[in-house]
Amino acid sequence: MSLGIGVAAGTTLSPLPWKVTDDLSIWTQRWPWTPVPEDGETSHVNSVCTLCPGGCGISVRKINDRAVKIEGMTDSQINDGGICILGLSGLQLLYGPTRIRSPLKRMGKRGSGKWEPISWEQAISTVVQKLDELRSQERPHAVACISGQKNGTVAELLKRFLTTYGSPNFMHVPSIQDSYELTLSMMNGVQAMAGIDVENAGYVLSFSSGTLEGWGSPVRMFKANSKLRDNKGKMVQIESRLSNTAAKADKWIPINPGTEADLALGLAYVIVQEALYSRKFVENYSAGFNQFKAFVINGYSPNKVANNTGVDSSIIIALARDFAKAANPLAICGRGQGDTPGPLAEFVAVHALNALVGNINQKGGIWSLPEPNYIRWPAAEPDETAKQGLREKRIDGAGNGAYSHTRSLLNRFPEALNSQKGDAIKVLLVSAANPLYTLPDTKSIKKAIDKIPFVISFSSYMDETARYSDLLLPNHTYLERFEDVVQPAGFHQPYIGLSKPVVKPLYLTRHTGDVVIAMARALKGNISRAFPWKSYDECLKQTLGAKLNSLMAKGYWIDEKYTPPTWAKAFKKTSKKFEFTLTPFKQPTRVLPKGDASTFPLLLIPYDSVRLANDRIGDPPFMIKTVEDTVLKGKDVFVEVNPKTAEELKLAEGKTAVLTTPTGKANVKIHLFDGIRPGIIAMPKGLGHNAYDKFLAEKGINVNDLISPVEDATSGLDAAWGIRAMLSKL
Amino acid sequence: MDSALIPQGVKRCPTWQFLLWLGIVGVVLLWGVYAMVLCWIKGLNQTNMNDAYGFALWIWADLAVIALGGGAFFTGFLRYLVGKDELKNIINYAVLIGFICYSSALLLLAIDVGQPLRSWHIFWHANIHSMLTEVAFCLSCYFMVLTIEYVPLILENRQLDKIPFFHHLGHNMHEIMAIFAATGAFLSFFHQGSLGGVAGVLFGRPFAYREGFLVWPWTFFLFTWSAAACGPCFTLLVTKITETITKKKLVKPNVVDLLGKISGWMLGTYIVAKIIDTWYWALVTVPSKGFTLTDFYSNNALYGIWILVMEILICGVAPAIILIIGPLRRNSALFMTAIILAVIGVCINRWVMVLQVMAMPVLTFENWVLYYPSWQEVATTVLPVVYGIILIMISYRYLPVFPQEQELNPVEK
Amino acid sequence: MKEDPNHIKARKFGMIIDLDKCTGCGACMVACMSENNVPFKEDESNKLDSITWMRVYKVTNGKPYPDMEICYIPRPCMHCEGSHGHSPCVSVCPATATDYDQATGIVSQIYTRCFGCRYCMAACPYHARYFNWWDPVWPTGMEQYLSPNVSPRMRGVVEKCTFCFHRYQLAKDRAFYEGRKTIEEGDYQTACTQACPAGAITFGDLNNPHHKVNQLVEPDPKHNGRPKNPNAFRLLERLGTNPKVYYLTSREWVKRAGDNYLKNED
Ligand SMILES: Nc1nc2c(c(=O)[nH]1)N[C@H]1C(S)=C(S)[C@@H](COP(=O)(O)OP(=O)(O)OC[C@H]3O[C@@H](n4cnc5c(=O)[nH]c(N)nc54)[C@H](O)[C@@H]3O)O[C@H]1N2
Ligand SMILES: Nc1nc2c(c(=O)[nH]1)N[C@H]1C(S)=C(S)[C@@H](COP(=O)(O)OP(=O)(O)OC[C@H]3O[C@@H](n4cnc5c(=O)[nH]c(N)nc54)[C@H](O)[C@@H]3O)O[C@H]1N2
Ligand code: SF4
Ligand code: SF4
Ligand code: SF4
Ligand code: SF4
Ligand code: SF4
Ligand SMILES: [Mo]
Repeated sequence: MSLGIGVAAGTTLSPLPWKVTDDLSIWTQRWPWTPVPEDGETSHVNSVCTLCPGGCGISVRKINDRAVKIEGMTDSQINDGGICILGLSGLQLLYGPTRIRSPLKRMGKRGSGKWEPISWEQAISTVVQKLDELRSQERPHAVACISGQKNGTVAELLKRFLTTYGSPNFMHVPSIQDSYELTLSMMNGVQAMAGIDVENAGYVLSFSSGTLEGWGSPVRMFKANSKLRDNKGKMVQIESRLSNTAAKADKWIPINPGTEADLALGLAYVIVQEALYSRKFVENYSAGFNQFKAFVINGYSPNKVANNTGVDSSIIIALARDFAKAANPLAICGRGQGDTPGPLAEFVAVHALNALVGNINQKGGIWSLPEPNYIRWPAAEPDETAKQGLREKRIDGAGNGAYSHTRSLLNRFPEALNSQKGDAIKVLLVSAANPLYTLPDTKSIKKAIDKIPFVISFSSYMDETARYSDLLLPNHTYLERFEDVVQPAGFHQPYIGLSKPVVKPLYLTRHTGDVVIAMARALKGNISRAFPWKSYDECLKQTLGAKLNSLMAKGYWIDEKYTPPTWAKAFKKTSKKFEFTLTPFKQPTRVLPKGDASTFPLLLIPYDSVRLANDRIGDPPFMIKTVEDTVLKGKDVFVEVNPKTAEELKLAEGKTAVLTTPTGKANVKIHLFDGIRPGIIAMPKGLGHNAYDKFLAEKGINVNDLISPVEDATSGLDAAWGIRAMLSKL
Repeated sequence: MDSALIPQGVKRCPTWQFLLWLGIVGVVLLWGVYAMVLCWIKGLNQTNMNDAYGFALWIWADLAVIALGGGAFFTGFLRYLVGKDELKNIINYAVLIGFICYSSALLLLAIDVGQPLRSWHIFWHANIHSMLTEVAFCLSCYFMVLTIEYVPLILENRQLDKIPFFHHLGHNMHEIMAIFAATGAFLSFFHQGSLGGVAGVLFGRPFAYREGFLVWPWTFFLFTWSAAACGPCFTLLVTKITETITKKKLVKPNVVDLLGKISGWMLGTYIVAKIIDTWYWALVTVPSKGFTLTDFYSNNALYGIWILVMEILICGVAPAIILIIGPLRRNSALFMTAIILAVIGVCINRWVMVLQVMAMPVLTFENWVLYYPSWQEVATTVLPVVYGIILIMISYRYLPVFPQEQELNPVEK
Repeated sequence: MKEDPNHIKARKFGMIIDLDKCTGCGACMVACMSENNVPFKEDESNKLDSITWMRVYKVTNGKPYPDMEICYIPRPCMHCEGSHGHSPCVSVCPATATDYDQATGIVSQIYTRCFGCRYCMAACPYHARYFNWWDPVWPTGMEQYLSPNVSPRMRGVVEKCTFCFHRYQLAKDRAFYEGRKTIEEGDYQTACTQACPAGAITFGDLNNPHHKVNQLVEPDPKHNGRPKNPNAFRLLERLGTNPKVYYLTSREWVKRAGDNYLKNED
């Protein structure tokens, strides 16, 4: 006994307990499962972010070979050191678990997630064998390509590949750019891109454009908004919902969704009636003003418009006066470059407003920019089989008949396939796009894809479309490759950016440009001859020519001296003048959403938050972390409902309800929100993925499961503003 | 079987019965230990605590248990320093209960911290401005004192007492017990107080914050005072429960009555002070921070003004009156009611000073957060209770805890 | 680098957030996460256990449609000075694991010393402190982006915004190598300031009249740094926490949302 006590006392008084305590404490600081980042040499690589059409310059901090932080590039003309939440999360994509690490061949059923890794040689020969087969059957037009990019060398290589192969079916993911382009072509008479000189605008009138939600080049728009504040300019947001943009605007004008064109014409009424328009521009440089005047005076008095739009006539009158009298007024429209390029009537009406105040090609106005012309490859020469194929009609009906002005109509693709018997399309190539998730009415696009026997995805990540493909040919990520980035959305000066490899490719991925070249070469003959480059990098180098040096050094090339053509020279219509066209107004100005109002008393609109990467990419974990718990809680998504509407439906905050639309049905949670019109409900885009990883998948609902496209009668583009809907208690 | 260990001249239940009960309580103990081990191995994610509720259920239990353990220091203070000699008949039990309470409190703290193996940083890197540092120092010292106070009782076990060394040790310890009791009382005054200070110094939390005297907020004094008032009530309550279970009188009524009366006066004076404190706080402190009293008791599902009424009037003023007024005190039903209410009252006070503080939003754009403990928290909080029961069972069986037991319950040979 | 104490007054780094410009985009939140190795987990929708050193609150004026207004309030750690450096959290930490640096005014957090008692969290009225309830786990491969400048925290300790203190140290090192005695305003900027696409955040030395932060809010040293600019305010000013984060707004209701007021107060 006393021995025991002695030992205990001795131990206590010895240094042993102190040593043990100290060691334990140190151990807790070096738990082997808590990573210790390795230190090393710091360096920075400048590049361009391509996660959205913003084209921001980025500066990536590296420690030895590891990229550790993405920051905005300080001398970038676009973002001037700023960066968005998605751009900041880029390294989670690079190093994340959703990367496709090598070419994969589908093993189980489509979408079952069973893959076999194969070599690049095997992968390319599999594709080439299929493609050869189709050509020998004289059916090259049974190949289609969906590309997320519309221009730039990779998109051009894909187009060239299809052309020499013999298919007219190159489709790009539509955007408001398409609508702006059509508008410029109809009114300015030019084939050009719209550039918006927001930095110099003094009064911004936005028809639902989420300039703080990610519209255009997002960081640039944020900066412009702050500049507008500093300059004591004004910003008015017309929108059915109190979005962030509306919240930051000097004035928020709630409107019935889809009636933006009417409101614009109502404003035009006041401006015309009160002769507030720019006489200099209208009298000397425009044509068709008289018909336009008669048209608005006849049909768009503030009282009439108030009925339709839900905006008070007194507000319409005051707004028109404010706008017309402001210094450098600017009107913009369109919900980003998305699946809903919007009704053409809206774009034409808003462009007419800009014309009335004379800010076409002016400081702080809407500029037309020539399309980039640095890609000057010798014309491809299709062989006989290819020529035959190219004579076939496009599967989506673009460039033909009713839609002869429109270049690509991806929204019509599912319907076109589903309405045909047999397999009109045998092989589908998908590059930088995720149609299975991003196209409205996911059921119908899935059905369409089920009719295509062979689907190839170039995606770097295991997105929905990749998961449902037959063969994966993963591209390097944007941080591992060279690529030209053309014209940040809406930027008003000619601009090319260059993405550079920040790190060496981590996996057995291959540049899509290289893969296209390899496929072409393997197909031999004219196809091979149209691709004389050994590699994509060589192609890019040749293409960029003299610009390459400045691009390598600065990361971008810009024509800072560019000024748009003066009014005397700008307009290429036969009249040589700006034309107040009425073409899109011959149709009803309002494109009605699908569904009838008696069964579906509510209107569901998708909304976008800059905190949710909605399309280009799946949200990395950092972004999901910033999503509020009134948007997503656990696996449940919230729809925003006006408290009045909720009261009528006897729905309370946080309660689960069934949301039904003509297209689909889902369980959602209710969030009472005073920032939305009664009768309208809103749901976030960017959730409800079922591919990717556990940090993203199965959270919320993909709004595309619930909505359907509605074609604009003039352009054929999707013009739907949401869909009719019904909410009921669970 | 174990008769050789049982004190002479008293009767204990049969061994099988003792073991059966020990087994039953032991199962609950194991459940608690399992939860505790989970918390240590997997971390505090086993609890439902969160960033708003950094202090939760078991910290409340910790504070409550320390307040209730206050019977030990205060009875010691009365017996050794004030000279209330009758109290020697209950002091052993008070010390035992104190020992249980304080060891439980230390155990709970060891589970509560995110890095138990670094707990000694509190001593090594001590921050003298922190109330918690004071708590840690006093608590550990006082626990040692309680151990020293408890050891002589253990040494009085029949078999241990036979060993001359232990016999002398025990005897000598008894001799100097007054010094320890004094030290203990001093330490206790401080750590009970600093526990009160823990909440009272939070000047970012208007619900908890109190002005005070020099570096001590008023809660510092109120906590000591309430522990001194309610701790003895808890000792009495446990004694009463023990008497009921053992179906024996263990302490003479005059001892109970004396302790009850002193508690009553303590509680009475405490509650007057508490009312003044609340009054001043509600009328001066709270408005100066932009709040009104009702802000603290509305817009949530649990904390209404009822809790203030319950704590101060029903569980404070009422028992104080009963215990102070002789005839009421001597009515045994009323006496029981009073000590139970007093115990509940101090528990509510500690609950409010921990959990309501966390629940209450300070930023205007935040909401109340209510919190439900996880089973692991409940099990870990129950753990000290069953541990206490077991220690009491063993101590009562083998040690002469109640000096008057023999006299009150003569055993016929 | 050792600075001549006679030459340089103690610095007091502070931040000003222009709420008229802040768009609620969340870039500051993610800039902070990626700069400071903040972990993430599968479900982050429970905001009560989601670590966000910088958190952007959505605040409304509480009015019904169509009069509702929204303001976003980004909330880093306020680096409270209290009186003489007795910030709410620093004075309570029993193990001196969080400290007030008199030379910079920055409230530091020493992860390896913190033993996770969470007293500091109870003390902070801004909910700026976060506990590591879980082990930080990065999916295999992702740990490659972790920065060596900020050590990842282990389970069981508290963490919070540090005003990117490591950047201050790097700036001092750089200045030393370049033979400069002091660091300039631009040398030390926090990750959130740098990233903010709206340019809503300004960071600098509040004690230095040449720095933008000082000019923007005009802190009044006689009143614990209360801003003289009528459009500036601090969160919970009247608690006496004496924060070094200021906000600018032109909207009265936003300013009022920053503190608690009695009904009859204006
Ligand atoms: N961080 C980040 N930024 C991005 C992207 C990203 O993934 N992540 N993606 C980029 C891309 S590709 C795009 S297209 C843009 C999209 O960015 P935005 O142009 O902002 O598109 P939305 O937010 O979808 O639409 C704007 C607003 O329209 C409102 N709305 C919906 N229906 C109607 C209606 O019928 N009438 C009116 N008046 N308003 C309506 C909604 O409330 C919504 O707030 O963002 C770009 N920026
Ligand atoms: N649910 C939902 N649907 C939407 C939208 C939405 O927000 N939510 N937004 C609409 C809008 S505005 C748009 S613009 C469209 C966008 O429609 P898509 O362009 O079809 O959608 P993204 O998801 O951007 O598709 C890009 C995919 O390409 C892959 N990828 C990313 N970078 C690269 C790369 O460098 N190379 C290659 N080869 N692949 C890459 C990624 O896996 C990503 O999933 O979607 C529209 N539809
Ligand atoms: S705005 Fe677009 S381009 Fe710019 S950083 Fe964000 S995602 Fe990248
Ligand atoms: S990054 Fe800037 S604009 Fe965006 S939420 Fe933060 S402070 Fe506001
Ligand atoms: S905000 Fe909170 S954590 Fe930061 S210094 Fe103030 S009290 Fe401490
Ligand atoms: S949790 Fe850590 S930093 Fe906070 S008070 Fe405790 S020891 Fe100090
Ligand atoms: S100052 Fe640094 S640590 Fe603090 S919120 Fe900003 S980025 Fe995070
Ligand atoms: Mo888009």
